[in-house]
Amino acid sequence: MTDLATRTAGVAATPVRRRRIDGGGPRAGTVAAFVTPFFLPFLLFYLVPVGYALWQSFRVVRRSGGQYGTSYTAFGGFEQYGEVLRNTEFWSSIGRIGLFGIVQVPVMLFVALIIALLLDTPLLRAKGFFRIVAFMPYAVPGVIAAIMWSYLYSPQLSPVVDLLNGVGLHPDFLGPGAVLWSAANVSTWLWTGYNMLIMFSALQSIPQELYEAAKIDGASDWTTAWRIKVPIIAPSIVLTTVFSIIGTLQLYAEPAVLRQISSNISSTFTPNMLAYTVASGNNYQQAAAISVVIAVITFVLSFGFMRLTSRKAGL
Amino acid sequence: MSSTVTRTRVAVAAATAGIVVLAGCSSSGSSDNASAASCEPTKGKVTLQYWNTVPGMDKVVALWNKRHPDVQVETKNISNDQYGTLGNALKAGKAPDLAQVGYDELPNLRTQSAFVDASACTAAGAAKSKFVPWTWSQTSFGGTGVFAIPQDTGPMALYVRSDLFKKYGVAVPTTWDEYATAAEKLHKADPNLDMTFFDPNNAEWFNGLLWQNDARMYGYSGDKWQVTVDSAQSRQVAGYWQKLISEKVVRTDLAHGSTQMYAAYQKDRLATYVGAAWGYSMFRDNLPEQAGKWSIVPMPTWGANGSSGDWGGSTVAFMKGGRHLYESVEFNTWLNTDPDALAMENKLGGLYPAATAGLELPALKQGVPYYADEKIFDVFADASRKIDTSFSWGPTQKTVNLALQDAMAKAAAGDGSLTDALATAQSAALKSMKDQAIPATAGK
Repeated sequence: MTDLATRTAGVAATPVRRRRIDGGGPRAGTVAAFVTPFFLPFLLFYLVPVGYALWQSFRVVRRSGGQYGTSYTAFGGFEQYGEVLRNTEFWSSIGRIGLFGIVQVPVMLFVALIIALLLDTPLLRAKGFFRIVAFMPYAVPGVIAAIMWSYLYSPQLSPVVDLLNGVGLHPDFLGPGAVLWSAANVSTWLWTGYNMLIMFSALQSIPQELYEAAKIDGASDWTTAWRIKVPIIAPSIVLTTVFSIIGTLQLYAEPAVLRQISSNISSTFTPNMLAYTVASGNNYQQAAAISVVIAVITFVLSFGFMRLTSRKAGL
Repeated sequence: MSSTVTRTRVAVAAATAGIVVLAGCSSSGSSDNASAASCEPTKGKVTLQYWNTVPGMDKVVALWNKRHPDVQVETKNISNDQYGTLGNALKAGKAPDLAQVGYDELPNLRTQSAFVDASACTAAGAAKSKFVPWTWSQTSFGGTGVFAIPQDTGPMALYVRSDLFKKYGVAVPTTWDEYATAAEKLHKADPNLDMTFFDPNNAEWFNGLLWQNDARMYGYSGDKWQVTVDSAQSRQVAGYWQKLISEKVVRTDLAHGSTQMYAAYQKDRLATYVGAAWGYSMFRDNLPEQAGKWSIVPMPTWGANGSSGDWGGSTVAFMKGGRHLYESVEFNTWLNTDPDALAMENKLGGLYPAATAGLELPALKQGVPYYADEKIFDVFADASRKIDTSFSWGPTQKTVNLALQDAMAKAAAGDGSLTDALATAQSAALKSMKDQAIPATAGK
């Protein structure tokens, strides 16, 4: 703690030269001109909706009059939150993507790291080509990727399944146990290249002198990779992990598409799907509460992870 | 995964922004018109808005517009997100005069005070006799008003691969008991052949089966909804299908209407299809090489009860906020009873009419080449007249359907049974109604 505190203080104490921007009238106008195009949409499409969702999450529906009576909303305190926390579907969806994340995120980032390191070795030819190939899946929109994979998983249509059947294997990619991992595979396919590129650009910025020094000290390529490159790009790895944690908690597109062909993905498979399902039943207030809870969990996990790693690795 | 984040954020932002726009009206509440709205003709030219989901509907409307220069109708296709679009428009106070609403969504939208009662217009009430009885009981909510005019229906029947039945010497079943026996025989004759598929993610279809067995999912008495999703009748249906699933004579891995489903039919892996009238073109268009191999026979029955069920179909509802009720009634009744309009809707949109006059359309009286020139529509017309008029949908039907589906999928995967799924759906119904502050209790 003290260590961290000192370090934070150190950062704050770094002599950053600040230009004075409050000097004259025209300058303030310039600042406004530059900031408004960002801030206005940010306010309208981010802050206001978030605030509105927050407000909604504290409302409940009331009704007066019989079967088709008049409905209105009223302040309900934490009633919706109580509902969410008591909702077993919510916790099973959290558990499901927790499992997903614990397996998928490390696998994906490890593969991304390996590819990035390979692309960084001087031995490899046609680097540009391989980089593009590895990155290409990212250019495919998630929904399209999921549709594509759903054809590969489908027992009736997939050449892969036919091939496996031919050698006596009968996998059921859409079965109750497998479908989560089939979705994880789509995510991995989609995002590995993207994460690889972040790590690769970090590798590119390492000064060559370090490698020369390592060589002189007798380090092999292997040692250079694990002892020098990986520790140096650790901040990028942390960054991609945080992105991935957020992405996992917000998982929607891949399972939603696979749901079209597999009944083993329920309407409450992921927290976001649950929120959507609840909203589609006109229960916007509870959907808002679910969204807020997901957001809180996301914050806790991503900042928690950053804190943990920054303490450990001294980043 | 940041792009997932971005995309989801955009979606969430768009959704919430939508709500923001509507915020002003959402909390104000809105009252249901217990008393009918007034019905006066408007002087001068009138323009009506009609939002629908039917392919070719613009051409039908063009015919009306040509014949009625003073009452012009503008159409908008909302099939992309029918109820989302309608719901948002309602909250924004910008609903059209008339909108396409499925029978099973009528109670939900009425609970949201989406409709006006058109019974002040004599033409609306007088239309009752022109429709198949069960449809009017839905749109009038058991005769308490006129909130919509029926448009099309999905009376159910059994599609049969008669060639396969002949090949294996199995009789085409007329009762559900015979159906189960035939399923076993066919499966024994060819282990790759299953009787049909049970799509656990298709509650609408399953509800049609419940309807056939007089399993009334909801009732209303003493100022409260009576929820009877889980009843002796519905358990009979669920238990029956659970048995077929457990015996592995029906498949549970095919989604209705999916490429996979057609592939299974194409490879002669399925012998029957329990479907609605609108399904006839699905097979005709997707499996042309099976022409002449299909027949359509009445649904297998539950013992002496000769009822059929309905799957799908929709109505054209009178939306709250419409200012020209008189003209809306005029157009709405024309749209759904005029033989020219019905013929076009059937031809262009594949609608199977709710109007009795529609059942007599020349196109629905002829043999259909794909079905070996059989007069298949006679089967559907007969089914349409044999649908229970006391069946009622619930005000949170969509939520109940999703809960039912999730539980049926679990059952199909071996976790619980279809009967358990009914209990899950029953409690989902009660809970969702409680969430919406709709008075409800478990019925008997």
